[in-house]
Amino acid sequence: MIRIRGLCKNYRVGAKATPVLRSIDLDVERGEFVSIVGPSGSGKTTLLHTIGGLDRDFEGDIEVCGHNLKRLDDSQLSAFRNRTVGFVFQAFYLLPHRSCAENVALPALFSPEGTSTDAIRARTREVMEQVGLNSRLDDLPTVLSGGQRQRIAIARAMFNKPSILLCDEPTGNLDQAMGETIIELFRTLNRSEQVTVLLVTHDPNIARSTSRQLLVEDGRMSDMTTDEQLDRTVGTPA
Amino acid sequence: MSRSIRLFSVVIANLQRSRSHFVLASIGIVVGIATFTFFMALGSGVRQIVLGTIFPLDQLEVVQKSLDFNLGPLQLGVGSDVLDDAKVSELATIGGVASVYPKMRLTVPAIAIGGQAILGSDLRTELIADGLEPDLVANDIAPNYVFRDFDAELRSDTTAQACTNDRECGERRYCGLPVGTRLPADPEARNAKLQVTGKVCRDYIPVIASNHVVEIYNGAIRRAHRFPRLNPQAVLGFTFDMTIGASMVRNSNKSEVIREKGMLVGFSDKAITLGITLPIGYVKRYNAAFGSERNASQYHSAVVLVPKKNDVARVAKRVGELGLDIVDTGAEQAGLLIAIFVAVFGLVSVVIVAIAAINIMHVFFMLVYERQHEIGIMRAVGATRWDVTRIILGEAALLGLIAGALGVLLALGTARFCDAISSRYIPDFPYKPETYFAFPGWLPILAIGFAIAFCILGAWFPARRAARLEPARVLSGH
Repeated sequence: MIRIRGLCKNYRVGAKATPVLRSIDLDVERGEFVSIVGPSGSGKTTLLHTIGGLDRDFEGDIEVCGHNLKRLDDSQLSAFRNRTVGFVFQAFYLLPHRSCAENVALPALFSPEGTSTDAIRARTREVMEQVGLNSRLDDLPTVLSGGQRQRIAIARAMFNKPSILLCDEPTGNLDQAMGETIIELFRTLNRSEQVTVLLVTHDPNIARSTSRQLLVEDGRMSDMTTDEQLDRTVGTPA
Repeated sequence: MSRSIRLFSVVIANLQRSRSHFVLASIGIVVGIATFTFFMALGSGVRQIVLGTIFPLDQLEVVQKSLDFNLGPLQLGVGSDVLDDAKVSELATIGGVASVYPKMRLTVPAIAIGGQAILGSDLRTELIADGLEPDLVANDIAPNYVFRDFDAELRSDTTAQACTNDRECGERRYCGLPVGTRLPADPEARNAKLQVTGKVCRDYIPVIASNHVVEIYNGAIRRAHRFPRLNPQAVLGFTFDMTIGASMVRNSNKSEVIREKGMLVGFSDKAITLGITLPIGYVKRYNAAFGSERNASQYHSAVVLVPKKNDVARVAKRVGELGLDIVDTGAEQAGLLIAIFVAVFGLVSVVIVAIAAINIMHVFFMLVYERQHEIGIMRAVGATRWDVTRIILGEAALLGLIAGALGVLLALGTARFCDAISSRYIPDFPYKPETYFAFPGWLPILAIGFAIAFCILGAWFPARRAARLEPARVLSGH
């Protein structure tokens, strides 16, 4: 599903290059629920963006669902983002002037294949029902709570039935109860739709609830196989 | 639903969302396009009046080349100033020339008397007249009137109807002396001859006048003499007396005169500018009657019709090679002046629109900055760089379309307002038009296209910047 070999990435400020990811190798299988933990600025978000084809400026090889990201042009990479992956961000990034339904159906606007209006409406209702917000189709996101907004963002990410969900601290702006609801939603999607989930988090409870934990530290990645490692990195659960 | 249509819905939504920004940004475009359209329409309208009515461009008036010397108050002409049938035939063979119509000036003194029915008293004036082929002005003759040489037909008609008064002759005919009757200038001898000469039914000599005559009368003469304003259509059918061979200049009087009656049957740009124009047959006969047969075969000019404007320059060159000259009507200078006028104001409007385009560029740069997260999320869900470019340029194009259309409407309204002001407050002058503006079909299309092009130009760099935004960077807040 995801195969990364020798991934390196530098941020350049003028002539100075700061390494963010250093020679990362990673394999993720279909249906895995993976959390990525690590200190702030360690490169977690950059890794997620690189896997999702948002960032092309890297060295090494990334193969996602058979697509070698290095070899895709802008149009192919856009189609890849549209069909294969779905993003969920901490800040939701919903369009405030558009209704929930329009936000959810945003990927349909850029779908390489034409889709009928009826099909778009039907799929919108379907994913809104999955996230439990079928009654808020016509509302603007600005009238929703944080948890509801994040569920709209998840519905948008799921619109085109992606194989992989890339979630960047999706509960970072939510209280604990709402955060647990959102994680439960991911878990449900992971189980029912066989969607592979890669989730960046600082929350030890969330990290522990996933099937696999990855540590990114100083641009390097390692699998955490013991509770001690996890405790040391993200702390003990409250 | 195609991708372009889907993106268009984004464009519409974005325009509605940012309408306050766009209203301010488009004011310059509206003003610029209104200025452009207004002055192009004004230039086009004035051009139509000047080159279509005052100086028609599809015809050349050809004269014999002559060399004049100024001798104090007199001008001494060297060489001939007439054309003969051979030259007219040569002109007709030039490529691009549709037809040639010779014009003959009446070289005999003549007087016209009439006008009581219209002006309240008869006017007596020295008559300036020329003759031309009826075919040349066939389209200018008023409906139900005829412009042809009736007397030529009557000369071969031996059954002229005798009469004692006009009523016996029917509509548009009068009871007069037989064709070609010459009366002595001496009153006693003339009366004696009139006693013995029987009268017959005659057709009025059809005459046409130039539109200039009416314009000059309505614009200037009627004011000086407090005469009523003339409606060209209302004076059709106006009749007057003509005495050929008589003059208000005593020494020019001939020993014999011919009395005729004329009727106005139309107005034409091809008629003599100041005077009246008759079918050329009448003029030939009068010139022959009071001069010689040679006088009846020499033309003072010829109207050369050149239907295609592109042929005019070539025909003019060939005319020069034949040793002939073209009367300078002032059309070229007028056309040049109008072109300069249109170019100057066109340039001003282009500058206004260009400045507005810079303003639009600033607005779009600001909007791209404001919308960078939105652009980032669109890229994250599958928008290509070209999609982002298309959305921004689509907004600019739609803005240009709306602003351009408003500009055209503003120009149209301003033009109507100017025409209304002119009609109500500006005194009549020769060739005063009902409208100074012409809005050909291509003008709104050009103006709106112009607005769209400048808006797209203004949004080009912001659109490129938007397309180059790195989604990872804007979505991670770096």
